[in-house]
Amino acid sequence: MSTANPTAALAALADIQRGFQSSGYIASDAIATCVYIAQALSKPILVEGPPGVGKTELANATAKLLDKPLIRLQCYEGLDESKALYEWKYGKQLLYTQVLKEKLGDLMQGAQGLKESIARLHEFDDTFFNEEFLEPRPLLKALWAPQGAVLLIDEIDKSDQEFEAFLLELLQDYQISIPEIGTVKAKQPPVVFLTSNNTREIGDALKRRCLHLYIPFPDAKLEQRIIESRVPALEAGLRTQLVAFVQSLRGLDLKKVPAVSETIDWARTLLLLHAAELEPALVRQTLNVLLKFQDDIEHVDAEVPALTRQAAKNA
Amino acid sequence: MTQVLSNFIKALRASDVRVSTAESIDAAAALALVGFEHRTLIKEALGQVLAKTPDDKSRFNDCFERFFTFEDLAGDSAPGDEQATGDDQREGAPGEDGGQGGSGGGGDGGLAAMLERGDGPALQQALASAARNVQLQNIRLFTQRGMYIRRILEDMGIEPLDDLLFALLKANDDDPRALRLKEQKARLVENVAGLVDRQMLMYTANAWPKLREEVLQKTPLARIEIRDFKVMQELVRKLAKRLVSLHSRRRHVSKRGQLDVRHTIRKNIEYDGLLFDTVWKRVRVDRPKVIAVCDVSGSVAQVARFLLLFLYSVAEVLPKVRAFAFSSHLGEVTGLFESKPVEDAVVETINTYGMGSTDYGGALAELERLTLADIDQRTTVIILGDARSNYGDAGERSLRRIHERARRVLWLNPEPMAFWNSGDSEMQKLGAACDKVESCRTLKHLERVVSEIARTAI
Repeated sequence: MSTANPTAALAALADIQRGFQSSGYIASDAIATCVYIAQALSKPILVEGPPGVGKTELANATAKLLDKPLIRLQCYEGLDESKALYEWKYGKQLLYTQVLKEKLGDLMQGAQGLKESIARLHEFDDTFFNEEFLEPRPLLKALWAPQGAVLLIDEIDKSDQEFEAFLLELLQDYQISIPEIGTVKAKQPPVVFLTSNNTREIGDALKRRCLHLYIPFPDAKLEQRIIESRVPALEAGLRTQLVAFVQSLRGLDLKKVPAVSETIDWARTLLLLHAAELEPALVRQTLNVLLKFQDDIEHVDAEVPALTRQAAKNA
Repeated sequence: MTQVLSNFIKALRASDVRVSTAESIDAAAALALVGFEHRTLIKEALGQVLAKTPDDKSRFNDCFERFFTFEDLAGDSAPGDEQATGDDQREGAPGEDGGQGGSGGGGDGGLAAMLERGDGPALQQALASAARNVQLQNIRLFTQRGMYIRRILEDMGIEPLDDLLFALLKANDDDPRALRLKEQKARLVENVAGLVDRQMLMYTANAWPKLREEVLQKTPLARIEIRDFKVMQELVRKLAKRLVSLHSRRRHVSKRGQLDVRHTIRKNIEYDGLLFDTVWKRVRVDRPKVIAVCDVSGSVAQVARFLLLFLYSVAEVLPKVRAFAFSSHLGEVTGLFESKPVEDAVVETINTYGMGSTDYGGALAELERLTLADIDQRTTVIILGDARSNYGDAGERSLRRIHERARRVLWLNPEPMAFWNSGDSEMQKLGAACDKVESCRTLKHLERVVSEIARTAI
């Protein structure tokens, strides 16, 4: 069973990380490993973690890395297969029947009685139920994509349990059954990402079919690299201060702690304001970029000077 | 390697990480992909395949660290500088399959030679293969510890070593070689014991709590001791979570609608029969109202404690619970439960209402006065008590009036059925005014009762 080639695996991981970096996504080892395994075993990835750590961004970056189109399905309560998988183009079907009405008369000419007419009609049975009249929705689009695709099923936890069960067939065999047509199999298995914010527990059946990747908040070093890649114009000194400040904020008891995306926004804001270093007044003015609850802002406001000083010291 | 992986998965399961067969197959595939050289890589890969919740992840990490620990068996006597190669050296992990040889996985020199050479890797390997041969992963009880240590040592070939030692010492009482060997043997024994201990911890870490939970579920609640309360509360919460996930799913279904043809036609008569205003069929989400009345005197208090804990833990499926407690007088404690953590509320309830001799007549009359107006055909009344009314009024007339208005009245009696109607027990009178009378002594019973109430929530 030792077909494994560990150096090859390591090289592949390094490749993936480099590829991600070139599109501006800094991936930890865990993320790179996960993407690598998922591709090799053709398994979907269930990504969990606090909001704003780059779950959705990971799918974007993977699409760029593999040079495949990104197909996105946003989940919400009440999402069903007609919105996720396919729908018949009712309008088009109706229009065609109207237009073809006269043709229908020609066809029926000479038919004796109802029975024969119906028999004739049966010969054209599937004209209106073929792929021409099928409106593909994200899932079907992903299966039909000739070169494969990256399919992002975003916030699966917001969908209903029924939809989750409906996904199982797709995730297991990359195929899906349409009653009128039959089973549609993927031309090229898509790379599937599912993201979840854990508003509800995901079913075991779904979890079993996926690799599970948990993305936590990055440590200071990784976050600095992320800011460096996303906001390259920001000065190095300010960057370390800013990251140290945000990291210490995450230690506080807040309603919603700032995520990576908010750090990036803040970095951009500071850049826009031509800030040279973190000062309490400046931080106070821009705190609303980082914190999204008035309670939190008031809570942090008093501690801004201390936090700023500490951030400057740590940097 | 499959053997090692399956042992690891066994250890994972023992520490309460749920691993399905499909996932173990995935794990093997992932392992084949990343190879065995890089520990962190293996850890990441296996972690993503096997552990799928944050809890599981932390348990996985613990288990991984414990499972894949090796120590330097050669010790400090001879740091393997003199090319430590056994007859065929494999990697440091507990070996691939093979080396099935009955005694001693080491070279031709056997255990003694390995020890003298200070051959760490070979010893490690011999130890691993011995552990496998004696099936150390099946260890369950700490009393088996000595046996397994002995078996491993025997498998590694301790007997020839002992013979050799004996012969050497017989020839010369303080032969330096013999003394050194003796010391190394002692260290080896210590290492083996360490390995057995670690394995025991790994495979049995969770066996105890599990067994305890199982036993506790079946223990009469009145007999549960204070030191077990913490475990019990945890257990109640677990059961409650299961009930919630079981019953909340059904409520989702009932939210959907279908066209109600009959009502649509009826409603659209005024528009000349044009189907203008559609009516959708809806399954009514019937949120039951639950009124829980608990006798909190003496031994019944224990059961009441857990019933209340249960009812308030499934608040998601049973949103409307009113709770009353009584012994000599009755009072509503709903507000208490809404304002405080459940555990504290329970304690306070028992402290406030628990001191007094039970008076069912008074309590039920008071209950009638407080709630009768609020009871309708959606209300389930649960009364928990032993129906021992100290030869006073049983209050069955009040209960009957409540019964007439409520959807149903359940009586839970923590006494075994054989004791009902003996002495001052008024079970017969009171039971006649209930829809259902049940003996409810253990957590298992409670779970069944609460589940049944939640089921009618649909």
